[in-house]
Amino acid sequence: MKRLSMLMIMMFTVGILAGNLFADDTLELSIPLPLTGSQAKFGEMEKYSYIIAADEINARGGIKGKKIVLSFEDGQGKPEVSRSIVEKLIDVDKQQVIIGDYSSACSKAIAAVANERKVPYLVVTGADDAITQQNYDYVFRMNPSNAYYAAGLISFLKQVVKPVSIAILYESSDFGTSGANDMEKQALEMGMKVLVKEKYEKGAVDFKPILTRVKAEKPDVIYMVSYVMDASLLMKQLKELRIDAKLFAGGAAGFAIPEFVNNAKDAAEYVVTATLWSPQAKYPGAKEFAEKYKSKYGDYPSYHGAEAYSAIYILEDVLKRAKTWNAEDIRAAMKATDMVTAFGPIKFEDKAGYQNQNFMDTLVMQVIKGNHETIWPESYASAKYLFPIPSWRSRK
Amino acid sequence: MIPLEGFLQTLIAGILLGGLYALIGIGMTLIMGVMKIINLAHGELMMVGMYIAFWMFELFKIDPYLSIFVAVPALFFLGIALQKFLINPVLKVDSILPENQVILTVGIGMVLANLATIFFKSDYRSTPVDYGTSAWYLSDYWIDTPLDLSLSVPWTVSFLFAVFITISLWFFLSKTDMGKSIRATAQDLDAALIMGVNVKLMRVVTFGIGAGLVGAAGCLFIPIYYLYPSLGGQFTLIAFVITILGGLGSTIGAIIGGLILGIFESMTATYIGMGWAPVGRFVIFIAALIFLPGGVASLLKRQRFGK
Repeated sequence: MKRLSMLMIMMFTVGILAGNLFADDTLELSIPLPLTGSQAKFGEMEKYSYIIAADEINARGGIKGKKIVLSFEDGQGKPEVSRSIVEKLIDVDKQQVIIGDYSSACSKAIAAVANERKVPYLVVTGADDAITQQNYDYVFRMNPSNAYYAAGLISFLKQVVKPVSIAILYESSDFGTSGANDMEKQALEMGMKVLVKEKYEKGAVDFKPILTRVKAEKPDVIYMVSYVMDASLLMKQLKELRIDAKLFAGGAAGFAIPEFVNNAKDAAEYVVTATLWSPQAKYPGAKEFAEKYKSKYGDYPSYHGAEAYSAIYILEDVLKRAKTWNAEDIRAAMKATDMVTAFGPIKFEDKAGYQNQNFMDTLVMQVIKGNHETIWPESYASAKYLFPIPSWRSRK
Repeated sequence: MIPLEGFLQTLIAGILLGGLYALIGIGMTLIMGVMKIINLAHGELMMVGMYIAFWMFELFKIDPYLSIFVAVPALFFLGIALQKFLINPVLKVDSILPENQVILTVGIGMVLANLATIFFKSDYRSTPVDYGTSAWYLSDYWIDTPLDLSLSVPWTVSFLFAVFITISLWFFLSKTDMGKSIRATAQDLDAALIMGVNVKLMRVVTFGIGAGLVGAAGCLFIPIYYLYPSLGGQFTLIAFVITILGGLGSTIGAIIGGLILGIFESMTATYIGMGWAPVGRFVIFIAALIFLPGGVASLLKRQRFGK
């Protein structure tokens, strides 16, 4: 027993020494991500994007001469696991800045820990409004919050579709619920009637009963907030029931990634979705990143990839400006961020009840001939929107 | 007219879903009847069946419905192997917990789900078949119909397959020697033993058949649903509710239980709210435990022997 503990102590000391030795010319960064479980698809895409960005920066000599060494910890999409990962990163590994994770629920859990431990946390994709509404001084969010996700879509509705009624279907998660509530609020402001607002449990097999109710109400717009497989099941079953509406709209996430089109096939045609970014976005480096990602991993990345990719560049910018690489100085430098990334302009502002929140334009994409095309705002458009859309019966 | 149309469309959805639920439930019920244990790896066995169908589609472009002929034998032998090499040895050992075989099945389920994660990653998979979104519409055949009902092609085909498999199972259980022996073992183990039934063999075969059935259910589900390694738990739960509802070990009870569950879930989704569908499932479950402890089977029996 005694020998064992001696051995442990020895290994521990050697470990610390080794760590110190290497720490001189590398910057080690651990990122929590869902690499298994139902959100693994997004976690994987973000992981690849982080790696692309880190490789690019390292090829240019790293940050202040230090090479970035990334490692990834699997949070499984479970807030409690993500929380414990971050506790370990802060308390044991003494990491001075935290970035990452995917879902709103996980980002929320991490934000609480990071703020409590006074370590800056950059939220990359978690969209729940509440994350940056809690007076967290150490939590910064680069993506617009859920309330702003659909801003582009709302202006498309106002100017092109001009609907009078809407049905909202959403997944019963943090992301789904806050997205649906925001849409309801904005729809009422526009003077629309909300005919159906219904949540469902993720993983449902049969949406036809609820869709039957939607059909009876005849809404102009059917708005859905879902992850990818539910999104394609919904569209498939809308087609099966021949439910016609002026517009089928998705609230980003599942509707905005290529898997949606691969799975829903012809039922995906004409569906529009809110999105934060597309490979056609006119930001410096956006196209280069999208092409690089495609040549390496076979498909274009969605906005999640662009967010992850740009997060590393934000970090580079922040660390270059920070006086020392302590949590406090990094926080101060992050607060002063004002830059344009491949994802878009980044500036952390306190307004409209948010703290350290980045505000930016959001886009609308439409599935045209099996591809996501940017259609709105028209200054960013890669294709002319198709509206009105044909009824199911008249499609072949 | 709209309320009636909505009601009928919901009923159709419920029956189609119920038929598939029944097929999942029967396998578990059969195993429950003969071995007196709840097989909590049932959903994971279904997941294995779905992966077989998925890879057959992905690699050889074989239609998921044809994969039934691969998945059923594969799952049959997997079931036999599990029973022979894992569950039987545990049955023999005396232990503090009388139900340690049940716990073993939980373990088997976890191992299967984790193996699938290791081998196939946790990606969502699906088989995008050409007829995936086609449907028959009443208004296409009868132009001025007041009600426009639709019937999804893959759902209907899956349902018909489920009915066909169920009927074949019934035929097997009531008309063949082996089927009769299985039923005898389920009804009274000691009597069956005295009558010269090879109880041990029956147990092994039953587990195989139960696994084969749920494998078939997997092939029927993949054209309308999707697949990921941890999907099993959800379906184990459904099978469990059906088994309790049907009356622990009654095949007909399981069929009726499956249909009740499917229709009830669909009705809850339409008239109360889709978020409530899982709640409805458990309301039925608890109601069955309290008011109908023998399940649907006890009602059937009362009918038969009542007068």
